[in-house]
Amino acid sequence: MTTFSRRSLLKAAGVATGTAMISVSPAAAAIEPGAMETTPSGPLPSESIVAVIRNADRGEVTILSGRTEKTYTDKALVKRLLKAAALNHKHGQGVA
Amino acid sequence: MSSHREAPEISKDPVADNTDVYAFVSPDAPSTVTLISNYIPFENPTGAPSFYEFGEDVLYSIYIDNNGDARPDITYNFRFTSQTTNPDTFLYATGPILSLTDPSWNRRQTYSVTRIAGNPSTARVLGTNLPCPPCNVGPRSTPNYSALADAAMVTLATGEKVFAGQRRDPFVADVGAFFDLGDIRPAQPFHLIQTGIPAADESRPSVDALSKMNVHSIVIQVPIARLTKDGSVPTDPMSATSVLGIWAAASRQKARILNSPGNVSSGPWVQVSRLGNPLFNEAVVPVARKDEWNAADPVNDVNFLPYAQHPEVAKSLPVLYPVLFPNLAGITGTRDDLVAMFLTGFPSGFFAGFQNYTGKTYADMLRLNVAIPPSANPDPLGVVAGDVAGFPNGRRLADDSNTVETRAVAGLTYPLVNPTYTVDPAVFVAGSGLVPGPDRYLSSFPYVGLPLDGFDNPPVTQ
Repeated sequence: MTTFSRRSLLKAAGVATGTAMISVSPAAAAIEPGAMETTPSGPLPSESIVAVIRNADRGEVTILSGRTEKTYTDKALVKRLLKAAALNHKHGQGVA
Repeated sequence: MSSHREAPEISKDPVADNTDVYAFVSPDAPSTVTLISNYIPFENPTGAPSFYEFGEDVLYSIYIDNNGDARPDITYNFRFTSQTTNPDTFLYATGPILSLTDPSWNRRQTYSVTRIAGNPSTARVLGTNLPCPPCNVGPRSTPNYSALADAAMVTLATGEKVFAGQRRDPFVADVGAFFDLGDIRPAQPFHLIQTGIPAADESRPSVDALSKMNVHSIVIQVPIARLTKDGSVPTDPMSATSVLGIWAAASRQKARILNSPGNVSSGPWVQVSRLGNPLFNEAVVPVARKDEWNAADPVNDVNFLPYAQHPEVAKSLPVLYPVLFPNLAGITGTRDDLVAMFLTGFPSGFFAGFQNYTGKTYADMLRLNVAIPPSANPDPLGVVAGDVAGFPNGRRLADDSNTVETRAVAGLTYPLVNPTYTVDPAVFVAGSGLVPGPDRYLSSFPYVGLPLDGFDNPPVTQ
């Protein structure tokens, strides 16, 4: 019979030796926690980038940047933005 | 009126609201053309404490088409920047403003001028940090206003002369009457709706509704050779090269984030205001499409052609004045005279010594024939009165374009395309018939009169 202690588990994961890898692999992205609400660290930049979801089902997102406007298909980005937007509404709708 | 608050959306954005455009061969410098584009409608001179200024987040443009395709061949762009000298005071002026560098002037603007000749990659900045004058506050804050305004006139290294700042609104019209169901004050006794006021009191002269209003003007005087297709100074009025199409616009970036301090904009420029001929968008295009028209380019104005062919005002006048316009009521054909006035220009053969035809592309532009020299005796009714140097050959400040267009719509120019038509005598009471006061215009650059000051306007005694 094999038994696992907490210490052996951490060791196996590499945490105890400080060698845990932080990488951005597709697999890692899939388990990222997504948007986390935070306090803004400063004012809006004067040249803000604005993303507008044009068609959620098709993953279409329009990016306004500087004096340009282009539309992309990026289902992952749209999905993440929608998730973040959902958090906006978690505590109720804005007041008109 | 002309294009003051002419469309629902742009009426909520005054700093981008283009009120009038003028284009004429400069009377005192006939080798040049003066282009004027005005913004901020119904600007009350006493509009303190935040006196009027151009929008920092607005792109102001004047366009010139020199080959008849209704697309800009030359563009002059203007961008403005504001500075607050003393952040610790609520005042616009903390003492008399005696010069454009006076520290007593607390809220000032500068601007840049960029010229694009064809491809946007040819954009060339002609001037930066050019000064605007202050607004005309009053005798204590701006005691020598004309000197301040004169100091803000700049000649660029490339030959253009520029000015941008507050001036007196040059447009003349009885706005209140026209929009009260087409009221023509001198013809009130004949209006369908009678108010009960005795005819003798009701039949009054028109009211100059903008006579006590200011505006913000962008004025640029350009050597003619810098504007024509082949770089020439045309002398033959019948040559196509002699005709320039001219219009102006204002644009905002597509996204704006309201923020403190300072809003943030992003994305490409989107046109929110446009103006060529006076009153086209105001009184020809229906209200549901006015903002669409503002966002559109002249090259696509075929989409608005039916409104010029069958204008609502022409249909309304015989209803509103049942006995005055019987012949106008009988017109059933397309108003090709108005299509020429607004959308194509007049080919040769309609007026002696004059044409301003730009081809078959329907486009609302002022059309200026630069080969026609300034008139020694300008007639405010322009071409229809035999003065071919005036509207609709471009537009001079003193041209009574309101009266010309109202009379044209009422049938005055219809015989040009239908010689059997008899003009209703009442045509000659249509329009404002107003004579502007002597201080409304200047005889030299920037030609638009000095702005009224906020201390005296409105006047103490009313």
